[in-house]
Amino acid sequence: MSLSCVLQRRRLSPYLQGELGSRAAAGLDRHLARCRRCSELLSRLKVGHEAGRSFGRLGPASPARLLSFEAIQAGRRARRSPSPFVVLTAGLAAVAGLVAIVVVTGRSPGVRAGRASSGSFTEMSIRDFGSRARSRVVTEGYVQNVYYDEQEQSLHIKLAESLRCPGPFVICEVRDARGLTIPAAGSRIRVYGTARYDGQPGRGWNEVNPVLEIAVLNR
Amino acid sequence: MPPELTSERILTGPAPGDRETALVLAARRGDEDACREIYRVYRQPIWNVIVSLVGDVPQAQDILQNVFFKAFRGLAGFRFRSALATWLYRIARNECRNHLRRHGPATVPLDDILGSRYEADQAGFPGQPPGRQETLKNAVLQLPFKMREVIVLKYQEDLSYEEMSRVLGCPSGTVASRLNRALLELEAHLRPQGGSR
Repeated sequence: MSLSCVLQRRRLSPYLQGELGSRAAAGLDRHLARCRRCSELLSRLKVGHEAGRSFGRLGPASPARLLSFEAIQAGRRARRSPSPFVVLTAGLAAVAGLVAIVVVTGRSPGVRAGRASSGSFTEMSIRDFGSRARSRVVTEGYVQNVYYDEQEQSLHIKLAESLRCPGPFVICEVRDARGLTIPAAGSRIRVYGTARYDGQPGRGWNEVNPVLEIAVLNR
Repeated sequence: MPPELTSERILTGPAPGDRETALVLAARRGDEDACREIYRVYRQPIWNVIVSLVGDVPQAQDILQNVFFKAFRGLAGFRFRSALATWLYRIARNECRNHLRRHGPATVPLDDILGSRYEADQAGFPGQPPGRQETLKNAVLQLPFKMREVIVLKYQEDLSYEEMSRVLGCPSGTVASRLNRALLELEAHLRPQGGSR
């Protein structure tokens, strides 16, 4: 391959896309007329170029699946940094807690597997909810239904992994709906709050209680 | 009154006093309406890039949220040296690249495999070979990230070499070389089996 080939080959893509200046294009035409290998390369690039154009014509993914601005804002609020004082206090408390665990049990606490923490909220899938309470979690799922629970006197959102088949679910208990977007059945949402287990007779389900924030991902 | 901001002119550079500059300055001051307007204008083109680069809608939603979270948080550092769209594209491709480094290629959720009625109608019957569109999408998704992004920016977003070089932070010549390699890879992916070079 000559130096001329090296220089001209960089121009092949802009040439195909019509972005090469007329003088450079004329120079490339002259080179292609006498270089069989570069002409063959151009033929292969043309196939790729046509594939690229077809890919471009497929169009964008459904805009209906785009997050609302409110969902973006909810994520921002959830991740907003706490004050240095809160960070310092929480840090000291965490260190004290770890020391206490090591002293009492004689071993280091295990690290929970799973998705990375989203800011100050820990991401949990619906099936990961256990019987242990856990504050500041965020979970995501589909709204099966929304109803007012007379016994608890609060709004309940039944959140499931799938709308199509029965499976794990959590009840999201909204004690104070002010400022929250109440989603419609069928929506996909993220719910921020405390994970708990409600073991009262007739219940026995996992819940997010109280719900701190709801982000509607799509309706 | 400056003209309304539309996604068609998002890659032209900012002019002093234009609507984009005014919006950025307002958003910096914490004006929620300005943030909402920026999101309204840019979310679709940024979404297009993200979903094409990661190939998975739920993951793309998380990344879209991260991109705008970082953009709104970092607007104070935006120096108007490029168009806002170029800056947002850069954040988006960095987020996608970091996401794929951490998580690897997307796994496809069961719902997406089952698909909607509409998608099922487009896809044909089970057991049939994938259609041309699916083959094409898969071929692009199988490209290495650096090649995939030039294909997406060039053919889907219709960016010029100069715009791509600004987004990718490399000279136009490098963009052209990458695009050459990407097109050759694409051609090799799509070539009927048994074909020769």
